[in-house]
Amino acid sequence: MDLTLSDLQSSILTALDSLTKGYSAPDLHDAPLSTQSETLDRELRDGGFLDVMSDPELGAVTAAIIVERISRLPVASETGASMFFGGALPAQSSSAVAVMSGARAPFPIRYLAPGTRIVVLEADRTSYFVAQPDQIRAEPESLYAYPVATLLHMPDDRATLEIRPEEAQRRWRVALAAEIAGLLRAALDSTISHVSEREQFGRKIATFQAVRHRLAQAHVNTNSTYWLAMKAAATETPEDAAMALWHAQESARNAVYDFHQFLGGMGMTLEHPLHLWTYRLKALISELGGRAGNAAAAADALWPREMPTARR
Amino acid sequence: MEFVWTEDQREFRERIKSFLAELLPDDWERFSQHGPASPALTEYAETVCAKLAAEGLLIPHWPQDHGGAGLDPWYQTILAEEMWRAGEPRGGQYMNVNWIGPTLIRYGSEEQRRRYLPRIAEGRALWCQGFSEPGAGSDLASLRTRAEQAGDEYVINGQKIWTSYATLAQTCFLLCRTSDDRKRGITILLVPMDTPGIVVRQIPSLIGEGDIHEVFFDNVRVPVTARLGEEGQAWEIISYSLRNERLGIPRYALARAALDRAVKILQDRGEFDAPLVRAEAAKAVALCEAARTANYALVSLRARGEELTAESSTARFATVNCERSAAEFVVEYVPNALVDEHPFLKMHHQRAIVAGIASGAAEIQLNVIASDVLHLPREAR
Ligand SMILES: Cc1cc2nc3c(=O)[nH]c(=O)nc-3n(C[C@H](O)[C@H](O)[C@H](O)COP(=O)(O)OP(=O)(O)OC[C@H]3O[C@@H](n4cnc5c(N)ncnc54)[C@H](O)[C@@H]3O)c2cc1C
Repeated sequence: MDLTLSDLQSSILTALDSLTKGYSAPDLHDAPLSTQSETLDRELRDGGFLDVMSDPELGAVTAAIIVERISRLPVASETGASMFFGGALPAQSSSAVAVMSGARAPFPIRYLAPGTRIVVLEADRTSYFVAQPDQIRAEPESLYAYPVATLLHMPDDRATLEIRPEEAQRRWRVALAAEIAGLLRAALDSTISHVSEREQFGRKIATFQAVRHRLAQAHVNTNSTYWLAMKAAATETPEDAAMALWHAQESARNAVYDFHQFLGGMGMTLEHPLHLWTYRLKALISELGGRAGNAAAAADALWPREMPTARR
Repeated sequence: MEFVWTEDQREFRERIKSFLAELLPDDWERFSQHGPASPALTEYAETVCAKLAAEGLLIPHWPQDHGGAGLDPWYQTILAEEMWRAGEPRGGQYMNVNWIGPTLIRYGSEEQRRRYLPRIAEGRALWCQGFSEPGAGSDLASLRTRAEQAGDEYVINGQKIWTSYATLAQTCFLLCRTSDDRKRGITILLVPMDTPGIVVRQIPSLIGEGDIHEVFFDNVRVPVTARLGEEGQAWEIISYSLRNERLGIPRYALARAALDRAVKILQDRGEFDAPLVRAEAAKAVALCEAARTANYALVSLRARGEELTAESSTARFATVNCERSAAEFVVEYVPNALVDEHPFLKMHHQRAIVAGIASGAAEIQLNVIASDVLHLPREAR
């Protein structure tokens, strides 16, 4: 057991940080609800950061570490789905990967655009298709700080992927938990900066114990979310993945409320970046059935239900 | 103690419901997504309020001398509940009927009442509330916008922020500093928004267009007669006003309507079977009913003619809890609402996320409860 980063992992993060440096200050000039950067996406791909899953020396834990780190950025960059599912997809293209749980349409999907490779987590199989322009409706009014579009109808001619449904769900839980961990950390840092500067009643807001305790709790939850995500990436068990995502969503739900409270009016504006992380967290809170779905999945994995047997 | 409406109260509610059913256009739910302070909703609210006024439903709780029907606070509550449940088609005019009008009736000069009350009573006035400043939010008493008397005028310099309705309002209910005494140095001026020297900037926000603004005052001159009450009387007056304001915003009614809608959507999709999801919905509804009853306890006091106490903060915090859990239920289990699929739920979300901030932070309510309800010893200074 060793929970420190390997030398290789450390150097990957160092390289990643230097690559993303130019993207770490949000450009809020046009006050967008969501921001993306094609250049960053390309640099991440070209730098090989999204390919670590297939490297036997690195694998899922390193992938989770990278997802966590990239999701701290104010720009949204699709990484989790590409890293955890890209290797299983037939077409090697550079377009984003989106994952949807359940074959339902119309339904909004993050990073959906013409050419997006879509993995569908179905009850009895994992399927795949490439999104076509006529299947998509742009959603400029979406509040989520990801690029979002609605998939209007589900094509029937989906290919079947060689990933068991339980395995696909497990992977997606790990990717999401890692992403939430990074979003939580960035949102917490942003909130800490605000309350450490802002004064009311002649003192910094951060000096009120009512605020300090809730921020300290947010740190505890963010820390646990991170470690549960990493452990789930390493052990590859369904119970670890479901617990990690439940914990991530539970933490996100509390943190989003608290952080916006502590920013007061400022947190309602598009001129402060907090919403870029909190509205991504809100989007992820619903994934795979929300806390209810993930807690139930964890229970089923921890204590498998016995198949009903005929009474003698 | 009894939890039943009188026959007359039930009829009153039904009257409002059928009035709204007839009045609101078919696309109201989508339309109501224009924030409550948007130009579109403000314009529409004028037609709604004019019709409410004609029906005697705009200010039924005002005294008869001022055009009301002198109905007790239960009727005000029923009216406000039905308006909120529908997404508040009165727009920013809710402020006028809840607290600006009643404050002017109690503290206004004869001239001020004559000038402002008829327009409010006709449903044609829009006000904005100039309280918060960049340096004075939760600590409102530290506000710095100054009004200096020069002859028979005040000259105002300073800045307000988060001011809802500022671009469209005709008049600002403005708090200014006239002396250095923290609370007794604050004075209310009723300032026409077209007075030279006022500049408004809209702040882009998560809660819809036109909602929050910065307002700059650069040598803005108003006559001394624009003062409401005496110099330094602002704190006393707004304590009265804000208690009225808080009681007039039954957010729980909209939260409950949003939850009912969310459950219906899940049922229609066949996704309301999971016991944990059902339990979450029930918990959120319970918190709405908790907020409702906490508010009713106060209405009951008022109906007996008693002044509201610090318990109004208790009811407000219960309301924040209910808004929070309703909005969170939707985010978690009907996530496409925030995209654009269910306009009513998105509208509720954008109203709900400010519940713990606008008109005073939830944490400040807790401080009030701790000191003025529980009388806990204060922190050593
Ligand atoms: C949608 C919206 C509409 C508004 N409309 C108006 C308007 O029309 N007119 C107007 O004047 N104002 C308006 N406001 C402003 C509102 O009244 C203030 O936002 C509110 O009083 C909080 O002030 P602040 O934003 O400066 O936050 P701050 O005072 O900076 O407080 C931020 C947070 O710090 C914490 N905090 C602060 N003090 C304490 C303490 N003593 N103990 C514990 N925690 C503390 C709380 O969590 C608080 O939420 C509006 C606000 C919003 C969001």
